[in-house]
Amino acid sequence: MTSIQKKILILTSVILAIMVTIWIALTYYNYKTQNQYNDILQRYISLNEVTSASQQVITDLNNYMLTPSAGHLRQLNLSKGKIQEAKYEIFPLRNEENDFALTNYINLIDSLLETTDRLIMFISGKDMEAAAIEFSEATRISNYIAEMKLTILDTELKTYDRFYRNIIVQSEELIKLGVWLILLITFILLFISYWFSLSITRPVYKLTQAANELSKGKFDIQIDVESNDEISFLAKTFDRMRININNLISEIKQKAQLEHELQQNKLLLQESQFRSLQSQINPHFLFNTLNTLSKKAYLEGSEETSDLLVSVASLLRYNLKRIDRAVTLAEEVAVLRQYMDIQKARFTQRLKFFIEIDESCLDLKIPALTLQPIIENAVIHAVEPKEEGGTIWFRIFNQAEWITLEIEDDGTGMPKEKIEQILNERTVQTEGHSTGIGFSNVVKRLRLFYGYEDVLLIESTEGKGTKVIIKILKKRSK
Amino acid sequence: MRKTGLILLFIIFFALCYLTFVSAEGVFRSDWQAPKTIEDENAQLRLVLITQDAETTFWDNLGKGAIEQAEKEGASLEIWGSYGNNHEDFLKKLEIAIHSKVDGIIVQGLDSEEFKYLSKVKASFYGIPIITVANDVPVEESLRRTYVGSDQYKAGSMIAKQLLNDMGNSGSVLLTYNSNQEYYQKQRLNGIQDVLKNYPNIKTIYAETSSDREQIITATRDVLNKTPEVDGIIAVNANIVGALVQEISKRYQVEPYFIYSFDDGPESLALLRQGNIDGILEQSPEMMGKTSVQLIMEWLNGETVPLDLKGYFTDIRILKAKEVQ
Repeated sequence: MTSIQKKILILTSVILAIMVTIWIALTYYNYKTQNQYNDILQRYISLNEVTSASQQVITDLNNYMLTPSAGHLRQLNLSKGKIQEAKYEIFPLRNEENDFALTNYINLIDSLLETTDRLIMFISGKDMEAAAIEFSEATRISNYIAEMKLTILDTELKTYDRFYRNIIVQSEELIKLGVWLILLITFILLFISYWFSLSITRPVYKLTQAANELSKGKFDIQIDVESNDEISFLAKTFDRMRININNLISEIKQKAQLEHELQQNKLLLQESQFRSLQSQINPHFLFNTLNTLSKKAYLEGSEETSDLLVSVASLLRYNLKRIDRAVTLAEEVAVLRQYMDIQKARFTQRLKFFIEIDESCLDLKIPALTLQPIIENAVIHAVEPKEEGGTIWFRIFNQAEWITLEIEDDGTGMPKEKIEQILNERTVQTEGHSTGIGFSNVVKRLRLFYGYEDVLLIESTEGKGTKVIIKILKKRSK
Repeated sequence: MRKTGLILLFIIFFALCYLTFVSAEGVFRSDWQAPKTIEDENAQLRLVLITQDAETTFWDNLGKGAIEQAEKEGASLEIWGSYGNNHEDFLKKLEIAIHSKVDGIIVQGLDSEEFKYLSKVKASFYGIPIITVANDVPVEESLRRTYVGSDQYKAGSMIAKQLLNDMGNSGSVLLTYNSNQEYYQKQRLNGIQDVLKNYPNIKTIYAETSSDREQIITATRDVLNKTPEVDGIIAVNANIVGALVQEISKRYQVEPYFIYSFDDGPESLALLRQGNIDGILEQSPEMMGKTSVQLIMEWLNGETVPLDLKGYFTDIRILKAKEVQ
């Protein structure tokens, strides 16, 4: 049996039990009062019967006296039998109060019967005078019987007075009881029904709400239904379903994320490949030309120009290698130096470049061409626009968990919007990058390569300078 | 809000419970117990005490004594009475008692033919013992078993002596009595006369009246008119004294008269208290009731058979007005 069914059955049986109890009580009460009424009525009827029977005896006596026929005698004996019967009926009516009067009553009947017998005897003996005396006596006794009846009835009324009043009061009280009972039962039933229906509907309501939330797509609200019936089972199942769906969704989301990242990576690669393809013919030609120019300058005694040309050439070569490979920090630093040599040749005294390197960090793997674009950016913003020139610092620290790369300049600084643009990987208007790789490209590649977001920080105060910090987790790099 | 609602509901619930409970208690509880039914009949001897002067102090006391004694003896006793000397009703009661076959009848004697017929013929026919109480009817005429009450002859002489004592040995004395000369009254008169006849200076005047109040007043008036020199009055029948005093007080002061009576009239004691009469002869009604029941029980139980036919006398004494005032 299911428990909702059980609940309904219990409610019904409780109501039924109350009804049955009341019905039984009232029926019993009714039966009792009915009996009482019957007893009372029976008392009066029995008492009265004697009187009417005695009167009947007198009538029959009279008839018999006037005409002493066998028929009248039979009639007389019949009524005598009747009064005897009536006498036996009143024996059980005896109680403490009416004992005396009732005995008198019974004895009066006996006297009447005896007188009647004597009368019959006198009549059969033809002694009409004696019979007449007896008849008058019988009549008197009959009157006494009637009087005694009144006395007894009077006693009865007095004895039962309180009882009768009680009956009246009780019947009035019964009506009141009925009203109170109806009110009480109505109240109790309403309360129980309300409470009972609530115990069914509240879980259903909660479940509905939960379903509503689910349908809106909120999968992380727990479904909590306190109940001990099927609804709670339903709710638990529903909750399990919710958890399952939730897990599935998060799995799908993860997969989508991965796919998205892959897609991005591919796009970046394609972009750089495209660029490098675009400049494939030219760079080789340019590279060879630059080497020839270097030799020529060397032969002509201009060693400085020759070195510069070599730097340019090697930078070009580095740039021509595939961009999607990882290089060591040492290689990157070497390229950086060459690039700065070129820039120094360009800006002479205006460019001051300081470099601090912790040698122990040079084995660090790093995506190719990440430092050069940042330095280039520093040169463009810190040195180019200022007539007196600028200073650029490059530092590598080895810290406990991190290896920190810092590129600092004392240029005009970067506006906030621009920093945000860069960090959100939006393509920034390029300002003549020599390698064709923008700042945002670097950020994107660094994040993809190391797998965490805050790999690159930009600190900038307008008018004072910009500091780009790259923090690389050692564990990851190993 | 919800809490107050809940509290309100609880209050309603308990109020309803209480009211229903009270109502149910009223319906189902019955503090009335039906009188016990008696299964075995004739367990008790049934006695009847019948009087003509029900609800006078004298008879109330007598009844009280009788009931006490009956309770002690375990007999059931009923007191039937007629009021104000209603002889017909009284005799009817006696006849009913006889026809009802009670076990014993204690009755105030009535010196009349009907009474004698009933006690002599009817009661004997049914074999019911009759004891006269307070007022006697001679045994030859009534076949009573015995008499319980005052020695009326002695009572008469006592009151006569008291009168002489108070009034002196000379003067005229009015004796009023009921024209229906009952035995006890005769005896009282005899008692009075036997004392007074020894005093030649005492003049005795007799006034007969009926029991009717008007008659008493008329008779009194007559006597007072004829013999205004009356000094002492003895109402031999105590029922007369009320009307008598009333009539005297209409014309004279009651004080100078020496008025005496007996205590078995309805007004005797009240008049004595008011000082309208000088003395009454006080009998012992309670004792009478007690003794009569005791004797009839003895007879019925066969302890004392036969009873003393002369009778059992109870105490009498003179009660003077000064004593009760």
